[in-house]
Amino acid sequence: MIDWLRQSLQRLRCVFRRDQLDHELEAEFAAHLDLAIEENLQRGMPAEEARRQALIRFGGAQQAKEEHREARGLPALDILFQDLRYAVRGLWKSPGFTTAAVLTLALGIAVNATMFSMVSAFLLRRPPGREPNRVAVVTSVNPASGFQADANPVSAPNYLAWREANDVFSEMAAADQYRTVSMNGQGQSVTAGQPEALRAAAVSPNYFSVLGVSPRLGRAFSDGEDQPGRDHVVILSHELWEQRFGSSDSLIGRTIRLDRENYTVIGVMPATFYLLGFPHQLWMPLTLTTADQTAAARKDRSLHLFARLKSGVTLEQARAEMVTLARRAGESFPETDKGWDAAVRTLPDFLVYGFGIRGAIGVMMTTVGFVLLIACANVAGLLLTRAGGRRKELAIRITLGAGRLRIVRQLLTEGLVIALLGGSVGLLLAYWGIHFIGASLTFNEAISAVPLSLDWNVLVFSMSVSLLCAVLCGLAPALQASRTDVNTHLKNESRAASPSRSHSRLRTVMVTGEIALALFLLVGTGLLFRGIFLIEHQNLGFRAAHLLTAGVTLDKATYKDSAERSLFVRNLIARLKDVPGADAVAIGSDLPATGPDSVTLRIKGQLELPANQRLTALDSVVSMDYFETAGIPLLHGRTFTETDNGTSPRVVVVNEKFVHRHLQDQEPLGKQIQLDAGATPQWSEIVGVVGNVKSYSEASRDDPQVYEAFPQRPVPSFSIMIRASSDPNGLASALRNAVAQADADLPLARMMSMPALIERQQGGDPVFVRVLGTFAFLALVLAAIGIYGLIAYSVGQRTHEIGIRMALGAKTPDVLRMVLREGMKMTAIGASIGLAMALPLPKVFDAMFYGLHIREPWLYAIVPAAIVAVAMLATYMPARRASHVDPMVALRQE
Amino acid sequence: MAESKLDLLQGTLDLMVLQTLATMGELHGYGIARRIEQVSGDKVLLNQGTIYASLVRLQQRGWISAEWGTSSNNRKAKFYSITRKGRKQLSEDAAHWQRLSSVMGRVLAMQDEGGDQ
Repeated sequence: MIDWLRQSLQRLRCVFRRDQLDHELEAEFAAHLDLAIEENLQRGMPAEEARRQALIRFGGAQQAKEEHREARGLPALDILFQDLRYAVRGLWKSPGFTTAAVLTLALGIAVNATMFSMVSAFLLRRPPGREPNRVAVVTSVNPASGFQADANPVSAPNYLAWREANDVFSEMAAADQYRTVSMNGQGQSVTAGQPEALRAAAVSPNYFSVLGVSPRLGRAFSDGEDQPGRDHVVILSHELWEQRFGSSDSLIGRTIRLDRENYTVIGVMPATFYLLGFPHQLWMPLTLTTADQTAAARKDRSLHLFARLKSGVTLEQARAEMVTLARRAGESFPETDKGWDAAVRTLPDFLVYGFGIRGAIGVMMTTVGFVLLIACANVAGLLLTRAGGRRKELAIRITLGAGRLRIVRQLLTEGLVIALLGGSVGLLLAYWGIHFIGASLTFNEAISAVPLSLDWNVLVFSMSVSLLCAVLCGLAPALQASRTDVNTHLKNESRAASPSRSHSRLRTVMVTGEIALALFLLVGTGLLFRGIFLIEHQNLGFRAAHLLTAGVTLDKATYKDSAERSLFVRNLIARLKDVPGADAVAIGSDLPATGPDSVTLRIKGQLELPANQRLTALDSVVSMDYFETAGIPLLHGRTFTETDNGTSPRVVVVNEKFVHRHLQDQEPLGKQIQLDAGATPQWSEIVGVVGNVKSYSEASRDDPQVYEAFPQRPVPSFSIMIRASSDPNGLASALRNAVAQADADLPLARMMSMPALIERQQGGDPVFVRVLGTFAFLALVLAAIGIYGLIAYSVGQRTHEIGIRMALGAKTPDVLRMVLREGMKMTAIGASIGLAMALPLPKVFDAMFYGLHIREPWLYAIVPAAIVAVAMLATYMPARRASHVDPMVALRQE
Repeated sequence: MAESKLDLLQGTLDLMVLQTLATMGELHGYGIARRIEQVSGDKVLLNQGTIYASLVRLQQRGWISAEWGTSSNNRKAKFYSITRKGRKQLSEDAAHWQRLSSVMGRVLAMQDEGGDQ
């Protein structure tokens, strides 16, 4: 084994020391001949004869040299180097061809590398911690379908029960991932002095040990720090530590004010601790009290469970166990848990799924893959054209004894050189592309927290893609060359005949393929464009312009009960109404178009349904003037008034869709419904019907919705909404002041205008679709160039034939028609294939993008028409040239 | 050519070179080629040039070593000598060849006898 290795290394070294070794060998040969001549002379031969005999006995020097090289080196590698040298020399001699081919491939590879940087950043990056694949995330499955219904958080009672009862996990931790904590002005910051809302998570003390991460500074939570009294400890993210506390090591052990209480900083996490989609700034202990074990707590599903699998336990076994436990909970607590299943995923899987970017990236990668295929087809076409001009050269080489395999290998090498050059230039372009995409993806914290970079994954990917291109591009000309008919080509008559059948078949396949791919991409992008356009221009059901919004969370320490929260809100709204320029003011648990939670409900007088078939509706808690402020029209009855308070009978307002879907368009006013929300479900009377509002700004469908009156269920976390008479951003400081007057320590989160909020919520979709559009356009241009090139080539090949036809009496229009017909036939076939491929696209998009529902039959007419037009143009130019051929010139042409 | 010369079987040249170096000590390429020709009584079809491929092969396997030096009549030449590893290999290969040739001899002799009967 060692011997073999040593020999291989020696051989490899010999390949690179070729010149020196050859030189040495020649010296040895010379010495050999001298010795032989000398001996012959001693035997008495005349000088001339002595030399002649020596040479004869030595045999062919060149042959001996070749044998020597083969014996000492790696013949295959030698040939490769030879081919490479030859290819580079050949490419150098035709700079125009080389530039075109390299740039085409570079574009194709650059877009692929750029998009792959997203795959690498979002899908391939390993979560931090020890063996992340052995960490399972347990979620509930909401029987009411909805956005990611199978990744719903779990209630505290279920967490406690499952933690004890399971046999599959060595340890289980829980995290409430969506807390907001206010930090009062401290540390170093531009907004020092003003309270700031931070993204926080409340986690069980074993959370970090389950994930297998430890703080960079200080310590993690220890057992018992989830008990009231000991729970005022906090761990900061690296980012917060750096930005607000100047990376000071002495921060550990110091006290900071959070939610108006003192917390001791015990640790700082490393910068590498980041879970995709959860850009937390700090972690505090999750305290669970007896209140969290009541029946009412079962409805509060807010915990993600992270658990480490026992060694030897598979994910499947864990899943089976958790489903059993969830069913058991459903039987014991049918009121709250019936129908709620459990889902188990690995941590990486959960993060990627929850982030919901897989579909978008899939579409992007498919698109750039097709762009690359088109680019390869173009370069293959170019190589084919070039090989056409070189057929005589190849024929001569074959006659002189070059093996066909050798010729094929050489042409493939040429493809390889082009692909590698293209790959290098492509990577340079990708470097900028990645920067650009990174700069465009800033629509929310979770996305911009993920850095895009040209990492090893991208490099390896680009390298493999380049090699694939080399094969794809080089294969066509190589196959063709292997079939070269020596006789015809040497006789200089190659152009006399029409190109061979196999030759034109290859070309037809390439042209039709390019057309099919381009059409598929254009239809797909067109559909997505249309979908995004519809969503951006749809009637949301309220007036978004001139609205200023901000989020507020009332902490439990100061606002202990409903009464205090109601009082604060009444006070706040009164102050806000006094702000000059504010036309209307309201608060709500959810803003219009921001996706309220969905609740199950029952209607008095209707049949009781099993839990998993219960009616559902979106549920918001709103203040009196909410509808007026948002501009949601009242259709029947009344909205909330001053008299709808904590002591009066419960009332609700529903939307039109609710009446249609759940009440079958019967008279809604006076009907009693009961929502499974709040601590104690109560029957409420429907007093009004309002217009539908989109539940998400990117969803195009309307869902049944219920509005409750804020004084009757004062939730601690809500948003403020102000309608301004002019630019809403002008009211920002007035809003801040008004809130500060009501409570100086209360932070305002996410202050922004409604249009900005909607744009942020639509997130990447418009950006994605615009990028996609660029790619599809690129594909179309490349395909047009490719079609032009291939048709022009084929016409050029047939110049002689056309000359004969014209000499025999064919007129210009006849020739034009003949060439056009050939082009159109390929276009028609390609377009049909592309159409067939594009037919199922709307269904695919429906499945991939929640709420996107597009059917645009006209696209299937317009896009093919556009493709045919472009193909026609690309065919017409060479056809015109062909029809103006002078028969005499054409016939004389060799 | 009245009597055709023996075409060398693959690997036999390597063995001849080893044996030559083992018996003659340090020798240059020409010397090795001449020695083989002389010993075989000019029965072997050998283009002297081919000896160099064999030499580089043996060298890479570590069976012989080479060094530039000066010949008896004051010429610069590359001298080859057998290594310890080479001697070991030679004894193995020689044994193998002797076994093979004795078996071949017997087999062919048997056929002759069969032809007589």
